[in-house]
Amino acid sequence: MTSSVDFNTGRVVRGDEPATAIDIKLRRRRLVSSVLRYSVLTIVGLVMLYPLIWLIGASFKTNAEIFASPSFWPDQPTLSGYINGWETSTPYTFARFFWNTFLIITPKVIGTAISCTLVAYGFARFDFPGKKILFATVIATLLLPNVVTRIPQYLLFRDIGWLDSFLPLWVPSAVAGDAFFVFMLIQFLRAIPRDMEEAARVDGANTLQTLVYIVVPLLMPAIISVCLFQFMWTMNDFLGPLIYISSVENYPVSLALKLSIDTTEAFDWNQILAMSVLTLAPSLVVFFIAQKYFIEGISTGGVKG
Amino acid sequence: MAELQLKSVEKTYGGGFKAVHGIDLTVAEGEFMVLVGPSGCAKSTTLRMIAGLETITGGEIRIGDRLVNDVVPGKRGIAMVFQNYALYPHMKVRSNLSFGLRLKRRPKQEIAGATGDVSRVLEIEELLERLPKQLSGGQAQRVAVGRALIKQPEVFLFDEPLSNLDAKLRASMRVRITDLHKRLRAEGRPATVVYVTHDQVEAMTMGDRICVMREGHIMQVADPTTLYQRPANAFVAGFIGMPEMNLVDAVLTTQDVPHLTVGDQTISIETGLADRLSLTEGPVKLGIRPQHLQLLTPGSDNALQGEVTAVEFLGHEINVHLRAADADFVAVVPSDHLDAMPRRGDRVAVKPTGAKVHLFDRYSEENISLG
Amino acid sequence: MGGDSRYLGYFYVAPYVAGLLLFTAFPFVASFYLSFTDYDLLSSPKWTGLDNYTKLLTRDRTFERSLSVTLLYVFLTVPIKLVFALLIAVILNYRLKAINLFRTAYYVPSILGGSIAIAVLWRYIFAEAGLVNMILGAVGIEPINWFGDPQNALITITMLRCWQFGSAMVIFLAALQSVDKSLYEAASIDGANHWHLFRYITLPLITPVIFFNLIMQTVQAFQEFNGPYIITGGGPLKSTYLLPLYIYDKAFKSFDMGYASAIAWVLFVIIMVLTVVAFWSSRKWVYYAGDRRS
Repeated sequence: MTSSVDFNTGRVVRGDEPATAIDIKLRRRRLVSSVLRYSVLTIVGLVMLYPLIWLIGASFKTNAEIFASPSFWPDQPTLSGYINGWETSTPYTFARFFWNTFLIITPKVIGTAISCTLVAYGFARFDFPGKKILFATVIATLLLPNVVTRIPQYLLFRDIGWLDSFLPLWVPSAVAGDAFFVFMLIQFLRAIPRDMEEAARVDGANTLQTLVYIVVPLLMPAIISVCLFQFMWTMNDFLGPLIYISSVENYPVSLALKLSIDTTEAFDWNQILAMSVLTLAPSLVVFFIAQKYFIEGISTGGVKG
Repeated sequence: MAELQLKSVEKTYGGGFKAVHGIDLTVAEGEFMVLVGPSGCAKSTTLRMIAGLETITGGEIRIGDRLVNDVVPGKRGIAMVFQNYALYPHMKVRSNLSFGLRLKRRPKQEIAGATGDVSRVLEIEELLERLPKQLSGGQAQRVAVGRALIKQPEVFLFDEPLSNLDAKLRASMRVRITDLHKRLRAEGRPATVVYVTHDQVEAMTMGDRICVMREGHIMQVADPTTLYQRPANAFVAGFIGMPEMNLVDAVLTTQDVPHLTVGDQTISIETGLADRLSLTEGPVKLGIRPQHLQLLTPGSDNALQGEVTAVEFLGHEINVHLRAADADFVAVVPSDHLDAMPRRGDRVAVKPTGAKVHLFDRYSEENISLG
Repeated sequence: MGGDSRYLGYFYVAPYVAGLLLFTAFPFVASFYLSFTDYDLLSSPKWTGLDNYTKLLTRDRTFERSLSVTLLYVFLTVPIKLVFALLIAVILNYRLKAINLFRTAYYVPSILGGSIAIAVLWRYIFAEAGLVNMILGAVGIEPINWFGDPQNALITITMLRCWQFGSAMVIFLAALQSVDKSLYEAASIDGANHWHLFRYITLPLITPVIFFNLIMQTVQAFQEFNGPYIITGGGPLKSTYLLPLYIYDKAFKSFDMGYASAIAWVLFVIIMVLTVVAFWSSRKWVYYAGDRRS
C-alpha cells in the first residue's frame, strides 16, 4: 500500500494515482478523517453533557413532567421549582444558605491566595536551612489522604470551641494548608526568570516589595487559577460542613441541599433540581468567565509536576 | 544510491500561500547537493517534500526512477538528519540507531552488526549505552548521522544539522561530514546527499553543487567555483562570498570601452569587460567583490573618489569601508599591501579590476556580463 | 542575595510551617495515638492497645465488606477513567478547530462532579423511573433496578467518577501537545506507522504524566465520600459502603473515635503501600524528560 503522511493534518493518504488527482483525494481524505473525529467527540460530548442539560431543563418542569419523558425541554415551563425550593421547609430561605457559603468562601479564597503566594515565594526564591525537608513535606501532604487527619482536627477544633462556626472551614487554607496550591504556584514561579526581581533588588527594593510589586503581577494568572480552583472546590465541599456545622442557620448550600432531600418524603423533585441548578450556577459562571486560567493552571501543574 | 529528480515541484499551503514555485532540480547519484538561501526561501520546505514530511501540491519527485509523491517517508528510501537531532530521548543511543531496523523486524544479528559498523565509522562506540540527554552537541549530532547512515538510504537529507553547534564544532563537523561522503564514495557506496543550510560558508565548502534559493525559486544551481566566478544574477552574487559583493547602481554607456557612471562620477573599464557584455547601454547594477577593489591614492585617474568611513583590522586582511560617488563600498586589502593603516576620514580612490567586474541588469537582476 | 539573612526564607514559609504543625503534623500523630484507644468524647481516651486493630482485621464483617467494595471501586474507576481520558485526549490532539470547545465540554463535569447537586442528580437519573431507565426503555431494554440491586449500585457511583474524566484528560492533552513534533517525523522516516508512533514515541514520553494522574486518581478514589453518601447511603446491603463512609459513621454517628481512627489508619496504610509500589515500579516504566536534547 502506498500512502503518505501529511504532517499538516496527520492524516495518512492513500493513492496510486498520478499527481493531478491528488488534490481531490487529499481533500476528501482530510474531510473524512475530520468528520470521523468530530462525530466521536460530539457524541461523547453530548452524552457527557446531557445530564447537565437535562438538569437545567428539568428545573423548569413540573414534577409530573419530570417523570414523563427523557427530553430536557419543558413543555410547560414553570418557575415553581425555583420559587418553592427557595423557601425550603426550614425557617430560612436559600438566601441565607448562599450567604453562609459566601462567608466561608471569601476568607478562604483570599487567605489561600495570600498565604500560598507568600509560601511559594519562600520556597522558590530562597534557600534556608531545612528547606529540602520542608519541601518534602509539601509533596507528602499533597499525597496524604486527609482521612487520617480529619478526626483529630475535629477534636482540635472542638477543644478550641470552633464547632458550628465557619472557622474550621477556612483557617487551615488561610495558612497555606492546601499543598496543591502551594505546589502549583512554586511550579509557576520556577518558570519565571529572576531577572526582574534582581533588578528590583538592585534598585533598592526589599524582598517583600519585590514580591508585591514585581512577582505578584507576573504570577497573577497562576494566582487567579488558584482562586478559581479554591472557589469551586469550596462550593462543592460537603464533608467539611457536614462535620463542623450543626445548626441549620449556619448551613452552606451543600448542606442545605442535602437537607432538602432528607426532609421531603415524596420528593418534590423539581424543587430539588431547581436548587441544585442554583448551587451549581456560581461555579459554572466563574468557570466560563475564566476558562483560560483554569485549563492553563491544571495543565501546567500536571505536566510540570 | 540513486538519482533524485524534482520536476516542477510546487507547494501551496491551505490558505493559498505558494511557498515553492515550480522548481526543477536533478541531483546525480552520489552527488553532494547543498540547498542554500536566506530564511523563508523554502529550502527546508523543499527538503521536507523530498522526505515526505510535507505533501507535494504540484510536480513530481522521483528517487531512482520511482515516483514518490504519495509514498510514506518510511518507504521512500530516505534518511534525514534534523536540526535539533530529534533523537528519541527515552531510548539509549544503541536503540536510537537500531529503531528503524527493529521496526522492520530484521534479524538480531543483522541489527547488531549494522549498529557496530555505524558506531565505528562515526566513533560513537563508547556512547552506545548512553541516553541522548547525556550526550554533548557534537556527540548527539554524530548519533543522528549514524541513525541516518544505518538505514543505507538512497538519499541522505540534512536539515541545517550544524546550526545548533558552536562555531568551532561546526567547523570540525563540516569536515567530518564531507570526509564521510568521500569515504563512502571511495568504498563504492556513493551517497546522494541533499544538505540544507543558510550558511554560505558551509555551502561553499561542502557541496559538489550548490542550489541557491530565494522565496521559493531557484536562483542558480552550479558548483562553488562557477557560483563564485559566474553568478547568474545579483542575488547569487550578493549571497555567495564574504564579505558580500559590492552592488551599486550605475549607468552603463559604451564608447570603445564600457563607461560606468556611479552617482556623479564616471570611470571607464579598459580590460576584460567589453567582450563579455550582452547589453550596451542602460541602468545596471555594478558588482565588484571587495577583494577585487583596488585602493589607490586619492586623486588617481579613472577611479572613484571617496572617503574612508570605517576600518576593520582582521590580522591578515583589512576591511576598508568607504563612501564614494554617493555609494557605500567595502574593499578587502591584505595587510602587507599597505604602508599605513587607513583611518576614518582619509580621502581615498577605488578602482575595480576590469576582468572581475560584474554587471547586472537593474530590473531583471540578470548577469549581463557573463560572456 | 548578598546581605540577606540566611533565615529570610523562614519569614515567608512561616504561615505554612505553623499550619503544617497545627493542622497536619499534630493531628497525624494524634490519630495514630487515638487508634490505640477507646474514645467516645465523653470521658478521656482509654488505652486499649491493639484491640481496635485485632477487632478490625479479624472480627469486623462490615470492615471486610467495606474494604472489598472500596478496592473494587478503586480498581474499576481508576483504570477506566485514565484510559478514557487518554483516549479522548489522543482523539482531541489534532488540529481541529473546535478543540477548545470540546476540551471545555469534557472538563465541566469535573468541576461540578464532586458537588451535592450532581450527586442528587445522579440519584434521580438512576431511579426506577429515572432518566437512564427511560432512555433504556426507549431502546427496548427493561428498566434496571439500580439502587435496589447490590450488583448495580456500585456501577452508578463508578459512572459518576468516570464521568469526571475531564480533569485527567486536560492534563493528558497538555502532555501530548508538548511532545516534540520532530520526533514523530524522525520515527516516520524510520518506518513507523501510526500505531508505532503511539506505542514507541507518544506513550513512553507521556509516562510521567500517566504516573502523576495514576497516583492522584488513586489517592482521590480511595477517599470518595460525597457520591456514595448522597446517592446510595452506602447500600443496598453495603454494596457501596466505601471506607470513608464507614469511618464517618463510626466517628460522627457512633462517636467511636478510637475505632474510627484505626480504620482510617488501615486505609492510610493501604493507600501508602500502593503509592510506594507505584513509585518503585515507576523506575521501570516512567521516562523522565532530560533538559537538553531530544
